[in-house]
Amino acid sequence: MRSKWLVLVVVLVIASMVLGACQKAPAAPSQTLRVNLGTYPDILDPQKASFVNEIAHLQLMYEGLTKLNTALETVPGSAEKWEYNADATEVTFTLRKNLKFSDGSLLNAKRFEYSLLRNIDPSTAGEYAAITDDIAGAAAWRGADLATATAEQLAALKAAVAVKAYDTNGNPCTDYEQKTCLVLKVGTTNPAPYIHTVLSLWVTYPVKEEVVALDPDTWWTVAANHIGNGPFVLSVLEANSVANFTPNANYWGGFAKVNLEYRYITDSAVAFEAYKNGEFDIIGLAAEDLSTVQADAVLSKEAMIYPGSCTFAYMFHQEKEPFTDQKVREAFAYALNRDGWVKDVLKGLGSPTLTWIPKGFPGYDAAENRWGFDPAAAKAAIAASSYGSVDKLPEITATFSDTPRNRTRNEWLAGNYKDVLGVDIKLNPVESTTYTALTKDSATAPQMYILGWCADYPDPQNWLSVYWKTGGFAERIKYSNPALDAMLVEADKELDSAKRMQLYADAQKLLTDGAPVAFFWNNVNTYMVKPYVKGLTTTPMDSGWAGIYSAIDITIEK
Amino acid sequence: MTGYIARRFLWLIPVVLIVAGLTFILMHNAPGGPWDRDPSSRQVDAVAQARLNAFYGLDKPLFYQFTSYLIGGRNLVTKEWSCGLICGNMGPSYRVRGMTVQQYLFTPPANRSFLYSKAGYSLRLGVLALLLAVVIGIPAGVISALKQNTWIDYVSLFIATVGISVPNFVIAIFLIIIFASTLKWVPVIPISWDDFSVWVLPAVVLGFGTLARSARLTRASMLEVMRMDYIRTARAKGLAERIVIYRHMIKNAMIPVVTFLGPALAGLVTGSFIIETIFGFPGMGRAYVTAISNRDYSMIMGTTIIFAVIVAVMNLVVDVVYVFLDPRIKLSD
Repeated sequence: MRSKWLVLVVVLVIASMVLGACQKAPAAPSQTLRVNLGTYPDILDPQKASFVNEIAHLQLMYEGLTKLNTALETVPGSAEKWEYNADATEVTFTLRKNLKFSDGSLLNAKRFEYSLLRNIDPSTAGEYAAITDDIAGAAAWRGADLATATAEQLAALKAAVAVKAYDTNGNPCTDYEQKTCLVLKVGTTNPAPYIHTVLSLWVTYPVKEEVVALDPDTWWTVAANHIGNGPFVLSVLEANSVANFTPNANYWGGFAKVNLEYRYITDSAVAFEAYKNGEFDIIGLAAEDLSTVQADAVLSKEAMIYPGSCTFAYMFHQEKEPFTDQKVREAFAYALNRDGWVKDVLKGLGSPTLTWIPKGFPGYDAAENRWGFDPAAAKAAIAASSYGSVDKLPEITATFSDTPRNRTRNEWLAGNYKDVLGVDIKLNPVESTTYTALTKDSATAPQMYILGWCADYPDPQNWLSVYWKTGGFAERIKYSNPALDAMLVEADKELDSAKRMQLYADAQKLLTDGAPVAFFWNNVNTYMVKPYVKGLTTTPMDSGWAGIYSAIDITIEK
Repeated sequence: MTGYIARRFLWLIPVVLIVAGLTFILMHNAPGGPWDRDPSSRQVDAVAQARLNAFYGLDKPLFYQFTSYLIGGRNLVTKEWSCGLICGNMGPSYRVRGMTVQQYLFTPPANRSFLYSKAGYSLRLGVLALLLAVVIGIPAGVISALKQNTWIDYVSLFIATVGISVPNFVIAIFLIIIFASTLKWVPVIPISWDDFSVWVLPAVVLGFGTLARSARLTRASMLEVMRMDYIRTARAKGLAERIVIYRHMIKNAMIPVVTFLGPALAGLVTGSFIIETIFGFPGMGRAYVTAISNRDYSMIMGTTIIFAVIVAVMNLVVDVVYVFLDPRIKLSD
């Protein structure tokens, strides 16, 4: 009798375990969110990708040590916490316990070590790899001359990179199967209290070494090879046609409530037609469809127009006359009718700005009002310049990428300067890649041209130090301000968050003092979203579609 | 005739060399390079750019790059020797890194046939479009000529004029609005290309221009032939009208139409940027256009050479078909 009871108990225990195991994997969602992503990605290898449409795929399948939440704060991702040393030259990440890849295999700190090193590896030649150059030893290894360096020299450079995985006892990790390998230490050449935010970017996403080894060049073309640690799993990938994602049952942060489908229609009129026909749930709203949408009672409620992550400026070459003279730069900044531009040219799809860091980002200066549209001040500035009057200015040429839209825009701008200052601006349209090539190099950079900067990550360091420090991106217009450099060096290494933000605020004021360029407008993200799509939260940094940062929370209620 | 065909094939070699040389000179004279981005994006940094240039040999003198492209060369980073165009290797794509041009264009997804590669999709759509053009365009032209200045002729003229003068992206949008948005016979965005019904609109749009031109050309050619003495002779000797039309008129009227259809097929099977953009069609037409703005040098070279070879081969096919259509033509030299 006793043995019968024992058998019954054993059977019940086994049954409950089996049922428990069954319940662990939630049922696949019945609803699918259908998104038009536009252009099909050229590459889906995290360490080589760099375009928005590529990141829109990777962000679903993978996750970094940290991640950005919908308020653009850096929050724990695969790491549950991180800690800087006293002088902010090393950050120690502690991973969540029992992390798994989408195939159920263990994800430990050694995997992140591999991926970070793969990003820096000169043979990877990642197009965005420079973003982790703050890591000690990274720039040296990445810049090694592969044609002349010996294997030993390369190995030494690799070993010098300050990225190392440790177990919980402080010993270096041995392999990818080690469960206690939960610590990753990342050292930086200079104090870098922002590096934990940089490590949220896609270039640090953990890819499996054994999967990459299958074919280092083309492993990413096969959906099944994307064994990631993000909220979704890629189930289907058909070039130029479709990508399907299903929720990742092994994701630590929960089970997504919908499947996702990306399609790649680049013609906005067709995508809009498909949206109206109920074939898409989210599409990008093109400027030419805006008036149709606004005039329609139903569609106008489905439009989502919200701030983006880019600032555009009228760039003035600091070493090309007449913009060598600050007063001339001031005059051109004063004369720029930003409100008129946004209203008449952008048809409301943008917002005028007088600051470099846009609204919605840490470091935005709401109080900044210098160099705003003021025709009288513009004329006075010309009069006060070394030229004295507009007729003494040398010939001024505005160069732009030649598209029908840009022609109209630049004709408007030339008209604006003619009306306000009485200056004749010669327009110089050039083919788009030629334009990029010209604007990259200070020797060929035009006298004046429009250029933007979009946030890599939401930290003033990315807006100010990366762009405006001597030798940074503003090198192309030959901008160099030692006082600003010194201030940014101080800000970059400051651990106290409040002090750091104050230093950046001061730096931005100093930057604006010299009117190096005319801050012009901020972009907006424009999408159409069906009303039955719920739980979607937008951010200025949405890559590819509205609400991608909240993908795991989205539901479809119809 | 075999000797003639063989000689024509040998002529392909200098043709390809000249096309490759001209393309190479033109594309390298355009400013910018494959690593240049949209100006508002973060540009590839100097170190990564130098690395990529070294990896792809773009830091070498242009003559060296050209000969390596044609014959092959040793990669200075990987130290591996790879054969060039003479072995059918069209080089690595700079934008779709990791893939060669031939892989990108001709390799189908796993477990699928060639027809599911980008080139395969374009080939299928091109052939379908040509079939539509031939099956509808040529009979329309013949009937228009036989019923000259009747309502049939005017309707045919109207449709052909629309086909020639209205750009195909406008026709595409119109067809989508009528058949997908309004009538809902097909989806705006094809769900699966395995479903034949979704091929109809792209094939009609792609083939419409060719259809219109072949209809006009057939009509004009038929009208010319109808006035020939040998037609009068055929009728005078009492042949049935059906035989006069089929054996004497259409066969002779087809010569200029065939001349047109050969190169037209080359244009149809190498893909269409418009069709692929509008219908999300996974063909190779997009590669042609985006390669230029991306400065994807190998892709520009590869697609241009493919196009040149197809045009040359189609011209040869046309010449051979002439022999069957007109016994007076001999392919002796």
